[in-house]
Amino acid sequence: MKIKIGHLYPYELTLYGENGNLKALKYALEQKGIEVEVTCINKEDSFDIKAYDFVYIGSGRPEFLEEIKERLEPYKKDIKDYINKDKVLLATGNSIAILELLRLYEIEYYDKRRVSDIEGTTSLYNGKIYGFQNTEYLIKTTKNILFSLEKGYGNNETCMEGYKKNNFYATSIIGPILARNDNLTNYLVETLIKNKKEQE
Amino acid sequence: MKFLAILTGKLIIIAGNIMQRGSSLPGKLALKIDKNLLSKLKYPEIRIAVTGSSGKGSTSSLIAKVLKDNGYKVSYNDMGSNLTWGCTTSFLRKSSLTGKIKADVLVIEIDERDTKEMFPNLRPTHIVITNLTKDQPPRQHHIDNVYKDILKGITPNSKIVTNIDEPYLRSFERDTKNEMIYFSLEKNKYSYKNQIFENLNTYYCPYCKGKLEYEYYNFETLGKYKCTKCDFKNENAKVIGSNLDLENETLEINDNKLNIGGNFLYHAYNTLASFTTLKDVGLDEDKIIKSINKFNDYSTYSYEKNNKVYFPMSCKAENATTYNGVIFKTIMNKEKKDIIIGWKEISRRYAHFDVSWLYDIEFELLNSDSLNKVYAVGIDAENIKKRLVLAGIPEDKIIMAESIPEIKDMVNKDEVKYVYGILNFDYIDPFNETFKEEL
Repeated sequence: MKIKIGHLYPYELTLYGENGNLKALKYALEQKGIEVEVTCINKEDSFDIKAYDFVYIGSGRPEFLEEIKERLEPYKKDIKDYINKDKVLLATGNSIAILELLRLYEIEYYDKRRVSDIEGTTSLYNGKIYGFQNTEYLIKTTKNILFSLEKGYGNNETCMEGYKKNNFYATSIIGPILARNDNLTNYLVETLIKNKKEQE
Repeated sequence: MKFLAILTGKLIIIAGNIMQRGSSLPGKLALKIDKNLLSKLKYPEIRIAVTGSSGKGSTSSLIAKVLKDNGYKVSYNDMGSNLTWGCTTSFLRKSSLTGKIKADVLVIEIDERDTKEMFPNLRPTHIVITNLTKDQPPRQHHIDNVYKDILKGITPNSKIVTNIDEPYLRSFERDTKNEMIYFSLEKNKYSYKNQIFENLNTYYCPYCKGKLEYEYYNFETLGKYKCTKCDFKNENAKVIGSNLDLENETLEINDNKLNIGGNFLYHAYNTLASFTTLKDVGLDEDKIIKSINKFNDYSTYSYEKNNKVYFPMSCKAENATTYNGVIFKTIMNKEKKDIIIGWKEISRRYAHFDVSWLYDIEFELLNSDSLNKVYAVGIDAENIKKRLVLAGIPEDKIIMAESIPEIKDMVNKDEVKYVYGILNFDYIDPFNETFKEEL
């Protein structure tokens, strides 16, 4: 079995050790004997989302966010198809503002950054979620949430954080969330294996 | 108001019991009495402000020492604090009761986030920007915030002295009309052709956003770059350092040897920043070199004990570049080695627990046959271990411990000659206390 991972714009979205997520996922897949191929997709490259089993997009400097949103606009339908086919897309930190283009949720901008440790639970697995927030954007919509927070800022400043549709996961938590949460990584690994088996 | 503020500040300074290193209280109180005090002081004709993410302390200190050595009367905040209050204390120390700072030159190290208040008052003749890198994300958020803060304060007639090898720093040339004075370090025996670090700040041209191409890298994004789309390139630096020799801690400027005062690449860049500033101030090149060579004396940080060589290397937590710097230094030694990584605390400023910066550090570079064992030490031992495992380092090579004394016997029994400490500055003393004492 071979899992193909696409890392979107790692030359622009490089704020907070974002590729730690891919290191954690790759390690967990390889521990199960699964071959992993990671492709970096930069602005010079074309983006064929269908070619991947897992796509990751992380936090970036604000000057890049709007530009990348425009760049992804032509791929909107492809990204939606990808999500509708249950393939895995993970967005962390302020990249949730880029993927607002999918019109699945609304985004709120805060002049005063929200900085906090994160502690909470999720319906994806039994156990906790830990992380860190350092963001000027939160999701406004409080439907289809990803995490219930005990500590941190949730969507629209409630205790409900993130967005989930099929296997599209969007969270304002920054950095290597998968490296800090083995449960979440294992959940994604199982999802990827299940998806792959169904394809075969 | 001004008189009262100065008098109060000076009296507090004189009160010996609070004359502790880095005390900012006199400045704080003086500014409370007169919040516009900084705009009312009479500063010397030459005013050199040094800022940046790191290296501002050693760069400003060297500038001040060389000036003093050449007969200048210098006001310098060498007592520690580089925030507005601390800077103000240092001004009061040297000022008359009428607010005239009694010096020929003012040299001031300023925290990068306080420059926006300080620069408009000081109107520096020279603004030295050592570097801008990822640093303290919970405080700074990202590099553009720091850049914008510095930019806000830049006064029209200040000359900006900075490193042309870093393309991001060229943003100042793009966004100001100030005279830029650049220094550069030529290709040297430690330069490399293909990028070895990931997650860096700059991959694209600050002018046209075209992809940057490098002829060589000196470290991270420092190197000989050019844009693939426009004519932006690294050329025509005013001062060029060549023949870097980290073993002997020297480089050359116009065929003259210059001591850099340490065996890391940043020592070379900091020395170049100091030299470039001093030259522009008007000091004679030979005299600058003579003084720098006196103060930047050979100062290797390693020591030998029990047939081992120990290298305690200080980094700044939440600043991946400082860690990458010592990793880059560590891998220059191809001999078998032990590595100790740890810190007492990540930040003294806040209680957040953020480990994302660990993933900006290229620990992958340590994963080689020459690595014997790596010790993950301190409160974050588990997180360090996790990072090392994800860097591909075999788990049986990683040992976790709560403190450095706990691993002393294990390290000393390991059959390797070299022991590198990749440490936050708060672990340097525990490292030395453990390994430097008589074994």
